[in-house]
Amino acid sequence: MTGVTPPPASGAVGPADAGLPEAAERRLQSDAFSSHLTIPDFGACLNMGLRPVGLVQGFCTMQWAWYGAGSPYLRGLNPWAPSNQYRGIYSESYQCPHAIYTYSNEHRTWGQNYEQPWVEEAWTQGYGAAFERMVTEAVDLGAHGVIGISHRIHHLSDTPVTEFHLLGTAVVVEGGPAPSGGRPWTTFLSGQRLGKLFEAGFAPVSVAAALSSVRVWAYCVTEFLMEGGTASWVTQYSGRQMGQTQWTYGPREVEQVSSAHMAARDLVRRAVRNQLGGDTLHGASIDMVKRELGSGDSVIECTLFGTRVRRFKDFDPMAPPTPTVRLS
Amino acid sequence: MTDGGPSGAPGLAVPRGQSWRADVLLAAQALARPVPEAQGGATSDLSVDEVLLLHSIGWEPVDLVFGSSVASTPPAAWGWGQGEIVVASESWDIAFRGALHRLVGECARVDGFGVVGVQIDTEIERLHTDVELVGTAVRPIAKAGQKVAQQLGRPFASDLSARDYALLVQTGWRPVGLAFGASFVNVPRRSVSTTISQKGQNVELTNFTEAMYTAREAAMSRLQDSAVSMDAGGIVDVSISEGPMVFARHAIGFTAWGTAIVPGPEGHRHLEPKMVLPLDDLQVTFQATALRQQGGEVES
Repeated sequence: MTGVTPPPASGAVGPADAGLPEAAERRLQSDAFSSHLTIPDFGACLNMGLRPVGLVQGFCTMQWAWYGAGSPYLRGLNPWAPSNQYRGIYSESYQCPHAIYTYSNEHRTWGQNYEQPWVEEAWTQGYGAAFERMVTEAVDLGAHGVIGISHRIHHLSDTPVTEFHLLGTAVVVEGGPAPSGGRPWTTFLSGQRLGKLFEAGFAPVSVAAALSSVRVWAYCVTEFLMEGGTASWVTQYSGRQMGQTQWTYGPREVEQVSSAHMAARDLVRRAVRNQLGGDTLHGASIDMVKRELGSGDSVIECTLFGTRVRRFKDFDPMAPPTPTVRLS
Repeated sequence: MTDGGPSGAPGLAVPRGQSWRADVLLAAQALARPVPEAQGGATSDLSVDEVLLLHSIGWEPVDLVFGSSVASTPPAAWGWGQGEIVVASESWDIAFRGALHRLVGECARVDGFGVVGVQIDTEIERLHTDVELVGTAVRPIAKAGQKVAQQLGRPFASDLSARDYALLVQTGWRPVGLAFGASFVNVPRRSVSTTISQKGQNVELTNFTEAMYTAREAAMSRLQDSAVSMDAGGIVDVSISEGPMVFARHAIGFTAWGTAIVPGPEGHRHLEPKMVLPLDDLQVTFQATALRQQGGEVES
């Protein structure tokens, strides 16, 4: 029942490895529980037989390195630079179609979209470490699950430092067995929504989260189009004129950038799918951030969060609901 | 599976606590057993309510799908002029059409019969137009594994939520696709004499009004044309945005999209909703600060 897993070579240090701080252990041993459930959620949890045992949290602060020229990694300067780093699964090259012309050194004869696994791994390390630290607190409390998880991912001031903060309420299933391996299940849901998830026949297994990062190095056509160019050489890939290159006018789709957008979403979906282990992701939330670096160059990052759920009872659909009109 | 009367959410029944407790114990027992990890898994951005509602009409989510497209716009498009800015309208159309094509292609790839709850995000920049579509592919449970071509010919895309989709199906209609249209129009400059004569007066700026009407008519015509091209009987839940461009205040943009629908083989079915009268007491809002005021009133 694994959730968000930091990369094996993360080198994470701190509470996740060294156990809980002494003050935290004293707090968790208190007789009174703490929780961040609202009163309706609290009532719904008691109704389901879930007893809150403590508010659990995890933090991790990550520094983002410079990957461009002058960095020890020499990343971003030349995508083909020799390196023993994992290069990801996505890379597309674009060749300049203006071979018949003489052009200057400023003419971009090549372009490339590629995955930036070093950014993805660093994000997974930060989120995964915060998640593991939260789960460690729940294990110390003897919890069976952590519900209503919320997270905050933000930059500290204007520095290249990102803080990951996760919190949730650890619960015990009254009269229920401990989860497999003693590792609590986790979910973003709580209260009535969690109750309806159980009623629909799904058990929450774990939170799933991932980030994908794609770098776009524009070639001449992309640069030209992203600067508002409308006329260019276009190679026909279908029809009677297949293989021929023609001069065309008017707005056009910027294929390299469109492809990068699709790739970023596909990569994050693949990453989360790898965490599902054959189960289903429920209530997914996908967000994209674009950073245009000029002349068609950009970085596209996607995040995807959701709850991994597993069917524990046979499909039992409710009757079609009855429409009502409320009188007041 | 459920009992009880209608809850605050229209059309959903409140389950019993005992039923929930039994389900939680069953789930805990299932999670206590180690399960061998398989490869992959399905993804969905639907809520629990939406999954339940889809199940109630015999449908299920298949996978999270998306479509993106970016189209170029020439900078000269936003200069001063008259009439429609054709290249800007074309740029929007190319981007929307490209994103939709990819979304529907992804749906077909996972054997979905359609995409519901499509979130539409459009960005109109000076030099390019970006369109991003994200939704969940769905299919009838009884026809899992069948190719969509056997049933509908091609997958549909709809920006209706799964809740609205379930309600639409109950009325005997079904979506056939996303209809869309956009137009960008120059607001012509007023003549010097008109500008001087209108200075300091409360008057209608007819050049703006006329530009807005021109943009609206062109966009709505394209919206309806795209629905007609899908043999749709109508469009529901049309979303409209209009106004001047941030980077070119003299250019008016009008965009519209909605779900094109057709009646099913049995035609329209009347829903005949039940009237309900809640017997709850009026909610009393207690304000602690009111106690410090003289006479401390409690608002209701």
